[in-house]
Amino acid sequence: MTTTCGCPDYARSEISRRAFLGRLGAVGALAGLTGAGLSTQMAFAATPYTGDVLVVLSLRGGFDGLNTIVPTTDPRYRESRPTINVPQNALLPLDSMFGLHPAMAPLKPFWDAGTFGAVQAVGMSNPTRSHFEAMEEMERAAPGSSIRTGWLDRTLGLRDLGSAFQAVQMGSSMASAAFRGPSPELAMWSIDDFKLSGAWNVTERNRWTTALGSLHDRAPSTVGDPAGTALSALAAASQMQDAGYTPNATYPATDLGAALRDVARVIKADVGLQVAAVDYGDWDMHTDLGTVDSGWLHDKLDELASSMAAFATDLGAKLGDVTIVTLTEFGRSLVENGSGGVDHGHGQAVLLLGGGVRGGQVHGTWPTLEDGALEGGDLAGTTDYRQILAEILEKRCEGSQMSTVFPGLTSDRIGVVNARP
Amino acid sequence: MATLTRRRVFGLAAAGTAGLAVSTATTSSAQAVAGSGSDYVAHDQNLHLLRRATFGLTPAAVSSIQRSGRRAWLERQLDPASIDDSECTRLIRSRFPRVSWTIPMARDGIEPFSWDLMSDLSKATIARAVWSKRQLFEVMCEFWSNHLNVTNPSDAVWDNRHDYDRTVIRRHALGRFEDMLIASATHPSMLLYLNNAESTKDNPNENYGRELLELHSVSVDGGYDEQDMRNSTLLMTGFGINWTAGTFAYTAREHYRGRVSVMGFSDPNPDADGYQVGIRYLKYLANHPSTAKHLAHKLCLRFVSDEPDAALERRLARIYLDNGTAIKPVLRALFLSDQFTASLGQKTRRPFEDLTATLRVLGYGPDKQGADGIQALVWIADGLGQQPLAWSPPDGYPDAAPSWKSAGGTLSRWNTHLSLAAHWWPDSLTQPPLRSLLPRRLPKTHGDLVDVLAKRLVFRKLMPRHRAAVLAFLERSASDPLATGDAAVGWRLPYVVALILDSPYFWVR
Repeated sequence: MTTTCGCPDYARSEISRRAFLGRLGAVGALAGLTGAGLSTQMAFAATPYTGDVLVVLSLRGGFDGLNTIVPTTDPRYRESRPTINVPQNALLPLDSMFGLHPAMAPLKPFWDAGTFGAVQAVGMSNPTRSHFEAMEEMERAAPGSSIRTGWLDRTLGLRDLGSAFQAVQMGSSMASAAFRGPSPELAMWSIDDFKLSGAWNVTERNRWTTALGSLHDRAPSTVGDPAGTALSALAAASQMQDAGYTPNATYPATDLGAALRDVARVIKADVGLQVAAVDYGDWDMHTDLGTVDSGWLHDKLDELASSMAAFATDLGAKLGDVTIVTLTEFGRSLVENGSGGVDHGHGQAVLLLGGGVRGGQVHGTWPTLEDGALEGGDLAGTTDYRQILAEILEKRCEGSQMSTVFPGLTSDRIGVVNARP
Repeated sequence: MATLTRRRVFGLAAAGTAGLAVSTATTSSAQAVAGSGSDYVAHDQNLHLLRRATFGLTPAAVSSIQRSGRRAWLERQLDPASIDDSECTRLIRSRFPRVSWTIPMARDGIEPFSWDLMSDLSKATIARAVWSKRQLFEVMCEFWSNHLNVTNPSDAVWDNRHDYDRTVIRRHALGRFEDMLIASATHPSMLLYLNNAESTKDNPNENYGRELLELHSVSVDGGYDEQDMRNSTLLMTGFGINWTAGTFAYTAREHYRGRVSVMGFSDPNPDADGYQVGIRYLKYLANHPSTAKHLAHKLCLRFVSDEPDAALERRLARIYLDNGTAIKPVLRALFLSDQFTASLGQKTRRPFEDLTATLRVLGYGPDKQGADGIQALVWIADGLGQQPLAWSPPDGYPDAAPSWKSAGGTLSRWNTHLSLAAHWWPDSLTQPPLRSLLPRRLPKTHGDLVDVLAKRLVFRKLMPRHRAAVLAFLERSASDPLATGDAAVGWRLPYVVALILDSPYFWVR
């Protein structure tokens, strides 16, 4: 879709919409920027991390959970979206209340197998309907404080430093603001792109890495540490490049498919991945959202579901050690607008996939779509998104000290995952 | 002595270079033998000053400072109007004429919420950093843009961010901080970015009131509490926007009335028109000893060391206060201080400084026409992690090296060096032939070639072991004669140039 957003905080300019949404996620959380304390990064961690690989999939632009995990029996749903609602007979039934958009069909087997689930009516405190502010706040995840780091950075900061591949932003040269802060992460377009551009064959690669290693031998740590880590990451990446990769599933030939394919590749290469972040933008559907069979939302959901399903299939038994969670900066407006689209709303749907997910159910508390239950006219948030993340970290990712990761978060948890055995 | 011992141990451990890439990365002992940055720079105070006070060395800048001497060079740079910069001025005027537009002109001239002007500003900022002769002035503009950060681009400031750059940052970059602080507090960019434009007596928004204290003036440990912060917010209510014109407007009806106290500042604040109270408050903050200390610290962090010397900070803070918040006397004292002299090699280049220094040392010029190449530089800086003016939170890009120790960022720098040395991209910028890095009469041997290239690119010879590493890269020994047809001065020249730029000699500032 090439339709530009009509909302005032979007820009029409020579900067493409795609680049803009990419930037939104990345502003400030920069590839060149990690942090202090790398000196022992490559040393073996005192306590190796043995929790799940956490994959955070950011649906940037404002993902429409209402037309995805559809509250089909809430009378206000179809009334509010007379032309763009998903008809009852098209839905894949989930429970007595909700149905799944048919474009999500590739994930239905995982729903039935209990490894795919969802949380509806997820919100955040201090809701804002500015893309930029909402993403910043969501990834900072420390409302009411002046903390400037991101929640993934704080999560990693509580662990012993791992390998150069401990935290990876895949499919972008810019790391999410959730990584902002001192803990190191690697941002890369793809495994195959992570290389020295002068090293076009093995001989040249060895020539470069040998020379760079020698030139940084005994360098000041401010230079030597990142160079050493870069060389180490290059060595690991080149092993993966040399080995090639044949996935056990067919991914869509899209950026998202490629990014998730590479995340699976890194997981299988066993190079110490703990957290992966992937961006999947272009959800800002102010106009022409489309029909149940075709159009913008249909195509996005199809790509999303096909990619996630391929990822889960590709991982096979390793899915038991992986948890994927989707986040978006806000849900869409309940009421469709005059352009066949939906504007910025509040409450969102979070999707969960993984061996430890308590799938096959829609978690959360449905606030209903009645007037009194709405937040500024839109679906309210009854579960703080940080509760979901905190539970995943605690039960699946050896997480503790949630007061550091999510300051001020209560201990409420809604049971979205099972504890790791 | 300890260093020697540790080095010997490391020498044994890492003997032979074949496996070094992995061993430097996988042993924590690599850390233990880390050398000092001062080992990597020529012990020449002229070059030292250029590395710190400019966006990168050029042969012309080096001969200029050598001719005039450091003091005269510094005085000239502190008086930018005395430097003929017509070439760069013409470049900006012809390629980015819109950055000198007023806010009303911008609102008439571009689509609402278009990013065009903000994009022009990004490009103009890079062009000035690379090509202006008023280098210290541009370095200070970068410093203040981060100190009083308003993220560019960001939607709210589409029509005024370029004006903020011109009338707040550039106008006062070498003037008085008091004037700059007042200019920022009365500019729609800052008032929108930190939400003061929507802060009212009934519904105060604390974003600006807090950052004014924490980031812009006295700093987080400057001696205020939450009560002060709330008073700071109330005091500044009314500093807002004329929403029709997009310009600053004092809005008396939104102003909180009644006594306000922030740290030692107190005012009965009885009138609806609280503008003058606000200005008095801003002057009070600009002249506060904690602000002096904060700015002295940040300037030392920028120009001297990641671990600034407290005595120098105290001295600079005193000079700042004694001179009515004037910036020049502080900079003069800083660059002429013993601590500055002693700080050789203690800073590192951040990604943007790496990019500008690469362009400058390779003699790159702007596009012959248009600005595609300059736009590409914005994207490159973005990919490196430091697009100018683009830091998203209000605290500005971090300065100290530990914040920039990124493996992905390092790889991006290395690949950028090669891309620029080989003139792969951006190919529309002008670049002299790479052979012009070498004297017309070629060096006699490959060893001499490495020396000549190192002198040209990092302004000193490499240490023997590093010289040997570059020769090994070329598969030559030092005494091997050099002929015109040799790869080292032919197809492999860009690669060896990039390799030298990849080394710590170039990274250290």
